[in-house]
Amino acid sequence: MNVLLAVLWKDLVSEWRTRDRIVSMLLFSILVVVVFHFALPADASQLLQTGAAGLLWVAYLFASVLGLNRAFALELENEALSGLALAPADRGWIFLGKAAANALLLFLVQAVTALAFALAFDVGLGAVALRFAVVMALGALGLSSVGTLFAAVAVRTRYREVMLPLLLLPVMIPILLGAVRASAALLEHGTLPSAELRLLVVADVAFLIVSFVLFEYVLDE
Amino acid sequence: MTDAAIAARGLEKRFGPVAALRGIDLDVPVATTLAVLGPNGAGKSTLLRLVAGLARPSAGTLRVGNPSDDRRRTRGRVGYLAHASFLYPALTARENLIFAARLYGVLDPRRRAAELLEAQGLAAVADRPAGGFSRGMAQRLAIARGLVHDPSIVLLDEPYTGLDRAAAHALTGRLRELRAAGRTLVLVTHELSRACELADRAIVLARGRIVHAAEGPGLALDTLERAYLASVESAA
Amino acid sequence: MQAGVLDRAAANLRTPSLWALLALSGLYAVAVLTAPEDAVQGVIQKILYVHPACAFAAYLGFGLTALGGALYLWRDDEQYDRLALASAEVGVVFCTLVILTGPIWARGTWGRWWSWDPRLTVTLLLWFVYLAYLLLRSFTEGSTRAARFAAVYGIAGVLAIPLNYFAIDLFGGRAIHPENLGRGSLGAGMGFPFALGMVTVLLAFFHLLARRLELEGLRAHDAFAEPALRSGPARAEGSWPT
Repeated sequence: MNVLLAVLWKDLVSEWRTRDRIVSMLLFSILVVVVFHFALPADASQLLQTGAAGLLWVAYLFASVLGLNRAFALELENEALSGLALAPADRGWIFLGKAAANALLLFLVQAVTALAFALAFDVGLGAVALRFAVVMALGALGLSSVGTLFAAVAVRTRYREVMLPLLLLPVMIPILLGAVRASAALLEHGTLPSAELRLLVVADVAFLIVSFVLFEYVLDE
Repeated sequence: MTDAAIAARGLEKRFGPVAALRGIDLDVPVATTLAVLGPNGAGKSTLLRLVAGLARPSAGTLRVGNPSDDRRRTRGRVGYLAHASFLYPALTARENLIFAARLYGVLDPRRRAAELLEAQGLAAVADRPAGGFSRGMAQRLAIARGLVHDPSIVLLDEPYTGLDRAAAHALTGRLRELRAAGRTLVLVTHELSRACELADRAIVLARGRIVHAAEGPGLALDTLERAYLASVESAA
Repeated sequence: MQAGVLDRAAANLRTPSLWALLALSGLYAVAVLTAPEDAVQGVIQKILYVHPACAFAAYLGFGLTALGGALYLWRDDEQYDRLALASAEVGVVFCTLVILTGPIWARGTWGRWWSWDPRLTVTLLLWFVYLAYLLLRSFTEGSTRAARFAAVYGIAGVLAIPLNYFAIDLFGGRAIHPENLGRGSLGAGMGFPFALGMVTVLLAFFHLLARRLELEGLRAHDAFAEPALRSGPARAEGSWPT
């Protein structure tokens, strides 16, 4: 438990000092939103109302991949990852610390991007803000848990940046589906559908447990 | 074998078809210092990584520390100083040490960090980010990090690299202190003089095998030097 | 290197399974050709004799891959990793067959090449997971590390399959893919070739799996070939690796 907090603190402090990931994730995700503006047809207001959730989550997905890659690139400097592997600590806690840091950063990026999106495209978020945040958080948790596991693997392969999305995306679909549909329902009729919520929670829990257990093997040689 | 801190029998490490280590039989008694010498590529670092637990043997047996301890506990008893420093450049020296201390479950990490900073002469730069450190300072910090949990077995891979006279002198002093405190040390070094200065026993590795072992009178510098050159030549 | 139980089984079953496969394939081809044409769908319906069986093999393949990976992590015995690799390589072939035969049949019956039907989509995702698995293996340096990473991904991937299905089925596309055919839903004279198809395809899967396993086992054996290098038991022991 101590180790979890230590790792979380270390990641957040490093991030605060360099602001490396947060800036690039934010910039990237807002850029994606801007690109959507140009990529969609001129009279896209209808499309935006119904497709807003999907567009946002695509932006979130890409931003999270970016952030996850950098999170472990940092650990490779000075072989810090080996430093973690040497510790007598239970590696599951190290995993949770990193996943928590990643989730927090992602959530921050999600919030700011959602705000920017709402402002830029005049999409009403105010009424559903809190529940929207819950969906974002659940999505961020799921993405970060299995994302952290896969990033630890991907970063030690030959094409590290490319490897992570290849590994992550097919596996991410349940979370993406649940989050997009829940968000869309919120934006459209202001209701939070229980089926989607259940899917998100189940997927989150399943991925969290599996990643927690499997991380042990990822730090070895 | 049971009272040795480190014991290896027929230890082998392969990377694909290449054998980095073969047929290593070794006993390192508790509270002794072993120097590991040899030309580049001989397998010295590989041996250390195996003992540290960062790599698994391809064949043979290797026991480190107490046989009744599980892997995690053994990790807690070993301190490893590699070529890489394991430091986080964005964190200050103090923060790096506090983090390492917390990782190893050290009680009162702050005090321990302060102690080590003092001992390594880094108190003045304690709150500067480690990324800005000179080679020598980074090395000293890495040494502090390696010792943060007061390990009973200390593995050092060419620790003198990058140290100036004064720092090297300080390190030698530190190693002597550790010896006196009953720690088991394994020191990989290029310099035979260090081996003679600090070790109780020395082995020479060449092409993955132990080609010479020396202790006592065999550790006089000129004797060792001759034996070293002869054994490495014949292995080539 | 000691041959594991899987390697020995693969070697022993080589000849009998090859004969069985040849015989069955012959019988199968005859059965397919002589089976009556479906009144509605025409000759294209005969893909039915191949497609579902391949799908079964594809999913079975990934299941074995994940199982092999899990056993490898638990037992640290390389033969399980060889099973995982072999199963992935053979399974991806069958998965590709499913993705190829599906649209051919779809075009003939529904008039379109693709649909985002749950079953199709999940199989497509499975295909991507297979590919990611194989890419991961080839892009990781060091065979132990590759085996380890692949095992982790295989286990995570196999978890994703039911989750994917659950998710997509609940919300995803319109289900136009035919449900599992119950007894008697096939026309007269079609039951036999269908069953035969299942057996033949599965046999083909296991035969290919065994061959691939054998090949990989030989390759591993070569890496340890030099007798001068071997010193004592080939299995790693000691307090560190356990």
